[in-house]
Amino acid sequence: MSPSAARPSEGARPLGLRSGEAKDAQRASLGDASLLSMRGVRFAFPGWPPTVDGANLELQAGAIHCLVGRSGCGKTTLLKLAAGLLQPDAGEVVFRGKRHDAIGTDMGFVFQSPNLLEWQRVLANVLLPVSLHHRPTAQETGQALQLLEQLGLAEHARKYPRQLSGGQQSRVALARALILQPALLLLDEPFAALDAITREELQRDLLQMCRARGTSVLFVTHDIGEAVYLADRIDVVEDGRVAQEIAPDLPPRSAATRTSPAFAQACAQVRAALHLEAVAA
Amino acid sequence: MRHPRLGSFLLLLALLLAWEAACRALELSRLVLPPPSAVALSLWQGLASGYFWPHLRITALELLLGVTTGCAIGFATGLALAESASLRRLLMPYVVASQVVPKLALAPLFVLWFGFGMTSTVVITALICFFPLLENTLTALQQVAPERLELFRMLGATRAQTLWRLKLPSGLPSILAGVRVAVVLALVGAVVGEFIGASRGLGALVIATQGTMDTSLMFAVLVLIAALGMFAYQATLLLERWLLLPFTRTN
Repeated sequence: MSPSAARPSEGARPLGLRSGEAKDAQRASLGDASLLSMRGVRFAFPGWPPTVDGANLELQAGAIHCLVGRSGCGKTTLLKLAAGLLQPDAGEVVFRGKRHDAIGTDMGFVFQSPNLLEWQRVLANVLLPVSLHHRPTAQETGQALQLLEQLGLAEHARKYPRQLSGGQQSRVALARALILQPALLLLDEPFAALDAITREELQRDLLQMCRARGTSVLFVTHDIGEAVYLADRIDVVEDGRVAQEIAPDLPPRSAATRTSPAFAQACAQVRAALHLEAVAA
Repeated sequence: MRHPRLGSFLLLLALLLAWEAACRALELSRLVLPPPSAVALSLWQGLASGYFWPHLRITALELLLGVTTGCAIGFATGLALAESASLRRLLMPYVVASQVVPKLALAPLFVLWFGFGMTSTVVITALICFFPLLENTLTALQQVAPERLELFRMLGATRAQTLWRLKLPSGLPSILAGVRVAVVLALVGAVVGEFIGASRGLGALVIATQGTMDTSLMFAVLVLIAALGMFAYQATLLLERWLLLPFTRTN
């Protein structure tokens, strides 16, 4: 880690943890400090004006954040910066107290398309993150099967992705992202191509899985209802920065949540932040 | 139609009958156009007496050797060029230039270099197979969806793993399509190579029958060449189907 990563403001943080220390100890010692923080992040694709410019984001451990914004506002780029798939031109991305200069480990990523390997069976697809590093053990295979079971895909483990519906493929992609039990799950409009009913089911399942495991989530979407349903914090992205952070005041999500007045109110709040009301007027 | 092949077979029969009838009715010289019955007789005699077999064996062997070496080298070169941008910049103009020269025009040169016989024919055949494989491998490996490359980066895959576990499997269908093209072109290479630089093989036999003006024997050899080509093509299709099983299997 470069010395510049340790800013005065981070004094209270347990910086410089040795990689030899146990993962759990690291998680515990971080307490309620930010799992991921992005400060003054700027990024431009070569030859283009900055896509992300001065973005700040703090994500607490166990929290679920949704990035909402119009097409081209830079939310996907922000997500890729968080993942370490892109390196910021300025500012810093700190994950678990460490400025990451490479691809983040302990992160799961779900793409816009399920992105499954069509020549491998569902089980092998779920185990891909494991099998790239070593031959999956019986225990890991068991974990994969359990994940598939939780996602209602137990009987599809031996099938190929082409034999599954779009919603089922998205579930397999989710299982693949969760197999290594990452601390942070990054999702880039994963349900955008699905029908509304399947999408609601997947939102429910995603929420359940992540709550049960204490997984933090950074979820990119352009669907306001989806953001309000999933998120503890909604970050409205505009012109490459987080323009506003909204914390919807909603009880734990249930089927009734979507039809509650509080839900509609939160949606209205996000719509206002996106200047949608002004367009309608 | 109940049987899909039946129509094709009936058409063949009709064409052969028309050909036979035309030869008899017009009393064409056998030197110009022998009737199918004469061709069939030549074919049968050649096969039964064992006259065709060594030639057929030589051509089949040349085809096999040429296709395997040409495809292997084309595949390896495509792989190298796909993985290294600097190598691509350096070599691509030469690769393209080498393909603009008609390879069959190089046959006399190869006879000069490798002698009269099998080697020069195998070299021509291999050279013909080289380019489709190179082109298809290069394109296939470069066309992997960027999202998948990001997935493998996210998972911390090494470059070799990305190649073996992502790029090659996802490029396999188009690489195999290259093999199919190569096999068809390869037979042309083998036969024409034999025209120029060999005394044995089906191509050499065609030239020999031209010399003895035995047109029905020439037709018989052409039938053999066509049969060899169809056999090679079917074999390639079977190989392709087998290798692509993970892409098509449903159980």
